[in-house]
Amino acid sequence: MNNRLNQMLVRLRAGMVDVAVIGAGQTKYGNHPLGLKGMWSEAAEQAFSSVDHDFDPRQVDEAFIGSVAFGGGQLGNTAALLTEHSGMEGVPVRRVENACASSGFALRDAWMAIKSGQADIVVAGGIEKMNDLSPERKRFWLGVSGDTEWERLAGLTFPGTYALMARRHFHEHNSSHDDLVHISVKNHMHGFENQQAHLRKQVSFEKAASGFMVADPLTLYDCCPTSDGASCVILAADHVVRQFTDDPVWVRSSGAGSDRLALHDRPSITQLVASQKAAKSAYSAAGITSRDVDLAEVHDCFTIAEMIATEDLGFATTGQGGHFAREGHGIRNEGAVCINPSGGLKSKGHPLGATGTGQAVEVFKQLRGTVESARQVRDATIGLTHNVGGSGATCSVHVFGRERNE
Amino acid sequence: MSESIQWKGYLLSVSNDSLYIQSPFLSNDAPVYGPDSDATTMGVAGIQYLQSIGATFSSIHLPESVDAFVVYVATGVDSPLRNEHLDFDAVQWHVIEGEQAGMVISQSDSEHFEFTEPLGVSSLDDSFLSEMEAAWDAECSHLHVSQGAYVSQSQYSEGSSARLTLAAQAFGGTTVWPPRQLDASGARLPSPNGQLDAKATVESWTKLSAAGAPSEFSLRAPILGGIQTLLVRFKEGPRGVFLVCDDVEYAPAIGDSVQFAVRRIYAQEGLIRYGLKALPLTETSVQNETPKA
Repeated sequence: MNNRLNQMLVRLRAGMVDVAVIGAGQTKYGNHPLGLKGMWSEAAEQAFSSVDHDFDPRQVDEAFIGSVAFGGGQLGNTAALLTEHSGMEGVPVRRVENACASSGFALRDAWMAIKSGQADIVVAGGIEKMNDLSPERKRFWLGVSGDTEWERLAGLTFPGTYALMARRHFHEHNSSHDDLVHISVKNHMHGFENQQAHLRKQVSFEKAASGFMVADPLTLYDCCPTSDGASCVILAADHVVRQFTDDPVWVRSSGAGSDRLALHDRPSITQLVASQKAAKSAYSAAGITSRDVDLAEVHDCFTIAEMIATEDLGFATTGQGGHFAREGHGIRNEGAVCINPSGGLKSKGHPLGATGTGQAVEVFKQLRGTVESARQVRDATIGLTHNVGGSGATCSVHVFGRERNE
Repeated sequence: MSESIQWKGYLLSVSNDSLYIQSPFLSNDAPVYGPDSDATTMGVAGIQYLQSIGATFSSIHLPESVDAFVVYVATGVDSPLRNEHLDFDAVQWHVIEGEQAGMVISQSDSEHFEFTEPLGVSSLDDSFLSEMEAAWDAECSHLHVSQGAYVSQSQYSEGSSARLTLAAQAFGGTTVWPPRQLDASGARLPSPNGQLDAKATVESWTKLSAAGAPSEFSLRAPILGGIQTLLVRFKEGPRGVFLVCDDVEYAPAIGDSVQFAVRRIYAQEGLIRYGLKALPLTETSVQNETPKA
């Protein structure tokens, strides 16, 4: 048995294999001129070149790529096609699908592959091409991740589902649409400085409050855009990390959960049990609490989703997400935690399958201090990603740190 | 002398062993079907009313415009269309469709009935009506196909009793709706063995703009100015989501009481999907249970 394998077995037995992000990259989100192959190769190329020392994609042991395969154009063998165009021919690869949480779970699968000892270098990524469809086909695909038989027959797509959650939250917790407007304004302010964001524009409170009604009470300014984009992160086991970088970002934990698919089948529609389970598991494994988190990329497909996430992740107490937003919490460098420094799904964009690993790209860059200086979260050492599938049927939460777990 | 009754979004007159049921909507002084109604939904409502006052149906003859499968699932009443061996002359009930949006359900096969003119009609805008009719015609075409994943005919049929009659699983003091398969211990739940009370309380609601509605509704949502969905809780515990009937003018509020009526939901690949839609429960509504199927 060679020395490296022996070392790894010893560490595995002790449950000590740590996982780090050694490189990360993404395309600009938005109406992207490139197709799937072009977008993916751009994200992969950026991730490869972000590795500090030499990196050869042929070193990759496994790859997990999240995608809903929106539009159905490349529904089968999506991942094999993409890796073929990014120097990873022959690598064991698969598409991971969990609706909008696809690449959050691809990241978790990649992390587990290394933790299991079966792989040393693993790529996790995501991709979606959404803006090459007619409006009708786009509306069709935007509604395929709910409980089709019941929710869709009641006329619901996700704007409608989250609108039901918002109105109920207002009723139960005395929150209001104004609270959601604060979230929209904040995320547009953050995204304005992000060169890779889809909607790089600031909006005033008055403008965001009076947007076109999409699904009462949610207006256009409460909804994320439909974006094209790809993202890619490279993970490595601790015993090979130093070959690639002296400045890794450690994946301190991975948590996940699921819940009933249909909103009406859940005990509560103002909290996401899948998020709560994922967060509890991730905090526990990392040995931290929500108070230790410096920045969080949370899944704000709609502003109400961020309001509820701040409660589910423990930044606000149950029912106080509206108050949290109203009081200006979550703004970059103005409080204990920065929520969505990238602009979040609301401003940065939401290419469904790419969103989860795109969040990890942001946290990697923030913790290494390599984002645009105007939007750097100061002195950040712990970051979190929160990626939700649909209206909350699936969720992954990852905790990242400058330091490993103690 | 008959009495005039509002029932599941329709107007009824009852006389002896016969029922006249009519749409509440008028165009050019003639009854016309509302945005979600047709002969099937009207027939179901009429049979359900008669069942609610104690009528029994050993057999029924339906006109071709009425979907016998939907009637059977929604009311439990079989018809010659489903039972080819039934002797037509021995049929107990006849459904006679009028030239306009009205029909008679009677134990007599007479062509002459006398009913009091139902009260409570309202006019529909002619252009709205013609646009809706054109949209339904296009939607019902075999050429109107799915864009991909969708509720297949078999999946629609499998869930039809829960969708049309609120058939639920009751066990150990718990009621489950829509039906589920295995429980947390891996044991199979019983087949639906009861029904929810056909009244519920609004817990949340939304109105989707035409741009936000599913593509299945893309032909009609722009004409309706969007589609309205309620999330409701039944007194037995389960919750559900339902569209609002016939685009009625209704500003929902959390806490409102609603009832349900069978209506068209959408059509795809030549098959109309029927289901329950919500109606505000007003003082003039006749309130009673959905009959046993």
